[in-house]
Amino acid sequence: MVEMELKRDRIVIRLGTKKWEWVLEPRYWRNTLLWAAFLMIAPAVAYFYSPGLINTMISANIYAAIAMPLALMTIGTGRMNFGPQFYIGVGGYTAALLSIAYGWGPLTTLPFAILMSMVAALIFSPLVIMARGLYYVLLTLLLPLVFLEVTFIYTDIFKGDTGLFGIVPLLDTGNAKNNFLLIGYFSTAIMFAYLWFINKILKSRYGLLMASINDDEDVAHSIGININKIKIIAFVAASTLIGIIGWFYAHYFSSFAGITYLPLTFMLKVLLVLMIGGRAQVFGCVVGGYFVAFLEMLMIRFMGPIQPLLFPIILLILLFILPEGLFGLYRKRRYREYLPTIHVRR
Amino acid sequence: MGTYIQNVVVFTFVMGSIYLLLALGFSLICGVLRIFHLGYAYIFPLTVYGTWMFMSALGWPLIPSILGMIAVQFIVSIIIYKGMIKKYMATEDVLLTALLLVALIIEQAANYFYPIQAGVYLETTLAEGTYQFGDAIVPKQLIIGSLIALAMTGAFVFFFVKTKTGMAIRALSQDIYSSKIVGINVETLYMFTMMIVLLPVIIGTLITAPVWSVEPGMGWMYMVTAILVAVLGGLGNIKGTIIASFLIGFAHAIVCFVFGEPRFMNLSALILVMIILVIRPQGLARSESLW
Repeated sequence: MVEMELKRDRIVIRLGTKKWEWVLEPRYWRNTLLWAAFLMIAPAVAYFYSPGLINTMISANIYAAIAMPLALMTIGTGRMNFGPQFYIGVGGYTAALLSIAYGWGPLTTLPFAILMSMVAALIFSPLVIMARGLYYVLLTLLLPLVFLEVTFIYTDIFKGDTGLFGIVPLLDTGNAKNNFLLIGYFSTAIMFAYLWFINKILKSRYGLLMASINDDEDVAHSIGININKIKIIAFVAASTLIGIIGWFYAHYFSSFAGITYLPLTFMLKVLLVLMIGGRAQVFGCVVGGYFVAFLEMLMIRFMGPIQPLLFPIILLILLFILPEGLFGLYRKRRYREYLPTIHVRR
Repeated sequence: MGTYIQNVVVFTFVMGSIYLLLALGFSLICGVLRIFHLGYAYIFPLTVYGTWMFMSALGWPLIPSILGMIAVQFIVSIIIYKGMIKKYMATEDVLLTALLLVALIIEQAANYFYPIQAGVYLETTLAEGTYQFGDAIVPKQLIIGSLIALAMTGAFVFFFVKTKTGMAIRALSQDIYSSKIVGINVETLYMFTMMIVLLPVIIGTLITAPVWSVEPGMGWMYMVTAILVAVLGGLGNIKGTIIASFLIGFAHAIVCFVFGEPRFMNLSALILVMIILVIRPQGLARSESLW
């Protein structure tokens, strides 16, 4: 007779005299592999039963891939950036303009998108040293809006009103369904790569330094940490990672319009992925990305025209009833690792 | 040259006054509650669509509909204060996200019940036609709006400088704990402030509704202008807000009439604010007090 017992951090399974234990920690290597396997199998299953789901998975992966660098930036700079979509615009427009002008493919435009995002981030990086509190919020909030204005003013270049079309697609196998599947896997790969990279950073010595800046940058400075260097590195690295997502969007849709990504409404969606996922918890961003993307898809499918009204209401309720986000539900059982605090007023 | 100067002077006055009306509430919330009210955008569509709802659904005339809408605005602001601001003052990341969501919910509600094709139009025109000042031609509605804006700002300044309640709110804006010690009822004044700041915004929206475009997403654009004015002035300082409103009005007038490029209007204001914030991060005026 099989007996199962749920302990605080594990499930114990007994069969006669034999005993197996399964650790419930999501980052325990076997569980991580299971999650990864699930996310890798899901697009293939969806390919046969409901190809439209692949599109939702791509959205979920990309939301998570924007929210994760934002979480890194929030921890590393000790400030909340309210305009991460600015770098999506930089990366996306760089890729789109080069692709349209020279017919370049995604592999050729990628280094330029990275370079431009990095340069833009370096130019604006002094903000993390100079601006504090609400002024940092305001400046970061205004940056994408300035960019959006520029796309409308120089509409002959950026096509601010209609968007840029004719960008070389990310993949072209000659079959739209196969393209979807491959791009689905590619987006999952990007999401996993970001997760691995950012988790490594946060677990490294640099992660510790970033956490100390996030907790109290004055104290961190007083114990000899070069806070400006750490803040600028975190800001530039995270912005560049977000810029790569702009590149992905441009080649994935073969079109790019600033009006889709630069307004406050897109920023709000990213912010919700970050907050509902787990308040700047990197693993929480994945949970948040999938939750927001699938909730949106289900509501569009079943709620009809009232969906745009109900969607923010549900998210608002979740924001209040989940004080540490969805990932916080797990953390209640395993309260051990560093929990970043999101600072706005500092 | 004379034409340029006349146009710039007249439109700086007109635009500056209207911006002042739209931004005064935002600046006061920043000054008194010391929060960044990212839900401010909801007030604009609620003013227009709330009034329209009473007119179309209940068949009320304009004035009772406006009074009904003001009552709804007061109720919504009390709910926001009690349900969000008071509870989440310490966790501003949650508060700002929640306020943004409120603005989005109101916008979507307006869009659901009265989409753009519903043709919402408020008959709040106070005067038809235009005035001519030299070579500058301005709609009468905006001139009257400017005068109302100045009168309203004057009334607010008088209230904050001369009345006991106004002084209590100023004390609150400087130090909450000291205010509590001297017996100021913080809760009541916070709620009172949340309600009085609605008045200039509501009046400004009703005045501009027949002249400027009305659509469910209108609040975001106005909120960006309010943010720019409040930040440039020094979050929460009325003197700074007045100066900043006219400065942004001046920038817009210069771009329109000297450079002849109205499409650069918003960009010019954004760049002006960014430059001033980099040079003087606290804004034009000291933001520790309201006046």
